[in-house]
Amino acid sequence: MSTRVARRALLSLALAVSATIGGCVASKGDIRLLQDELRSMQAVSARADTVRRAQADSALRALSVAQDSMRALSARFGNFQAATSGELYDMARQLLTIQEQTGLSQRRLQELRATLEEKAPPGVTATPPMPGDSTKPAGPGPAQLFQVSVDQMRRGSFGVARSGFDELLTRFPRFEDAPAAQLYVGQAYAEEKNATAADSVYLLVVQRYATSAEAPKALYKYALSQLAQKKPDLAKQVLQRVIREYPRSDEADLARARLGTIK
Amino acid sequence: MPRLAVTALAALAVLASSAPLAAQDTTAVRIGIRYDPSQRPGVLVLPIAGVVGDSLRIIIQRDLDYGDRVVVITPDAALAATLAAGGSINYPLLAKLGASRVVQGTMTPRGLHVALHDVAKAQVTDVAEFPLPIAQNTRDWRAAVHGVSDQVEAWISGTQGIARTRVAFIRGSVVRMIDSDGEDDQAIPMLGEAMSPAWSPSGAQLLYTTFGVNSRVVLHDLTTGRARAFGQASNTTNLTATFSPDGSSIVWAAAGENGSDLFLMPVSLDAPARRITVGRGTDNVQPTFSPDGRRLAFMSSRAGHPEIYIMDADGTNTDLLTVSDFGDQNYRSSPEWSPDDRQVAFQSRISGKFQVLVIGLRDRTSKLLTSDGENKDPSWSPDGRHLVFTSNRSGTSQLWILDTETGRTRQLTHTAGSRLASWSPRLKP
Repeated sequence: MSTRVARRALLSLALAVSATIGGCVASKGDIRLLQDELRSMQAVSARADTVRRAQADSALRALSVAQDSMRALSARFGNFQAATSGELYDMARQLLTIQEQTGLSQRRLQELRATLEEKAPPGVTATPPMPGDSTKPAGPGPAQLFQVSVDQMRRGSFGVARSGFDELLTRFPRFEDAPAAQLYVGQAYAEEKNATAADSVYLLVVQRYATSAEAPKALYKYALSQLAQKKPDLAKQVLQRVIREYPRSDEADLARARLGTIK
Repeated sequence: MPRLAVTALAALAVLASSAPLAAQDTTAVRIGIRYDPSQRPGVLVLPIAGVVGDSLRIIIQRDLDYGDRVVVITPDAALAATLAAGGSINYPLLAKLGASRVVQGTMTPRGLHVALHDVAKAQVTDVAEFPLPIAQNTRDWRAAVHGVSDQVEAWISGTQGIARTRVAFIRGSVVRMIDSDGEDDQAIPMLGEAMSPAWSPSGAQLLYTTFGVNSRVVLHDLTTGRARAFGQASNTTNLTATFSPDGSSIVWAAAGENGSDLFLMPVSLDAPARRITVGRGTDNVQPTFSPDGRRLAFMSSRAGHPEIYIMDADGTNTDLLTVSDFGDQNYRSSPEWSPDDRQVAFQSRISGKFQVLVIGLRDRTSKLLTSDGENKDPSWSPDGRHLVFTSNRSGTSQLWILDTETGRTRQLTHTAGSRLASWSPRLKP
């Protein structure tokens, strides 16, 4: 019995040993194989990485080039914009200068016309009669009347100035400075502290000469007159009307600034 | 022959020829010397007895001379002593010296008694007693003597003199004041580094602006010494403040990143500032009121380069004043409206240098007033005849005074760096 047991034990041991030894031999080969495979896989992966890196580099390079191009384009566009806006600015300035020069020339012309009218024999005016002027002028011409009235205004003779402007508007209703003359009538009343008359004349300017440069001025002066008469609500409405109806005028800008200061 | 002498002879001839008629005609004939602005009468100031007599005489003589309306005759001391020897005026000798008027001053316990003699009529025409402060040769005493000179000038020419005035100016970022005759140069206490002083119409206050981070407009009371400041805002520089002629408002320029505009504020500072120009990114500075306060002249770059414009005081009716040729790169600035409302003084760059000019408000023709060195920042005297301006003609920046009628100039300051002058109104006693 003990011998059989001993044999069985020996057989088991031998089997275990042989199994152990056999197993060890198989693992080494496998490991090598595995190692080779791993190496191969690593090489493939490295190659793939290199390719990907190269692709990424290439993509980055392309992106960088694209960015440079964009930058260059943007700079060119910026330069173009600056040049264009600079030119536009210069053009606007030149336009303004021309406008100022034109205004100045018109004034000089006006003064010259007034002088000519002054020197002309009685009944003769340097300004041709306006279409629609039925009355033949027998006194000073419109330019002279205007200039003399402005001078009276400057001297503080508001009543005399107003009479001059009124005569001008009656005799030469289509004179180019009729809107300015009408506005001066309003200002003369304002200087004489006759706010009611001044206000009605300011509104008359807006009504009669709505498209003239004097219309927003008259409306703005009307608003200031309401403020002086302690009527801030009406003044606000009028200032808003200046902004709404004459948005590009200087008076619209002044009206915006003035609205901000009214409580 | 001098015109006055001719007038006197003519007057005598008229008197002689009309003598037989005088008995029949009851109409009185008045004969005398009338002041003619184109002909400056000779004036002699007699020596004044007393401790400060010489000082008084020198100040009055100098004031009359600086007024440019008379010719001051200054005989030597020995001759001068004989002109009123024994209490009687030697009119024939005075006439030979070319004097048509004689100023006779006498010290009294209260001040100075002054009599103005008409040499042709051989009589006193005007007389007054002027109180003088007891402390002699002080600022107040000198001011009182200047007041005497101004009254004498008014008697002779009909126009009050400008001796009792001061000029405010800047030297080294400090506001200073100096008498119209160049005496008593003094600084006023400052709030910051100052620019562009301007007088109130009463002469009791000064306005100036400060530059730097806390740029402000400062209202300085010369009587109390107190100062009130306003206009401080971030990224804003306040410039060129001025009073309205009635003293009720202040107009100044506030400059930010988008150009500068003019603003109006009541002197009481109890209402918000109101913008009165539409600069749209351009510069609008250096306001100056017309004497009636209805209009303003100012410098604007709205049409490209700086020019002078006029507008209504409410901001409407803006109009170009100065004339320039198209493409002209010389610009015009620093306008100053004359007290007689006839012209505006300004500076223009001519051949690279600033010069002072005036432009007529009626005919808009300009007249060049200076050419020696560089001359700028003109300011009118209250008589509308003289201008104070900054000039480097002596080698350094100094204040000079120009008589616009005769072209005569004199140096007001003698310390380098004086600039930005503003002439006061006639100051009250």
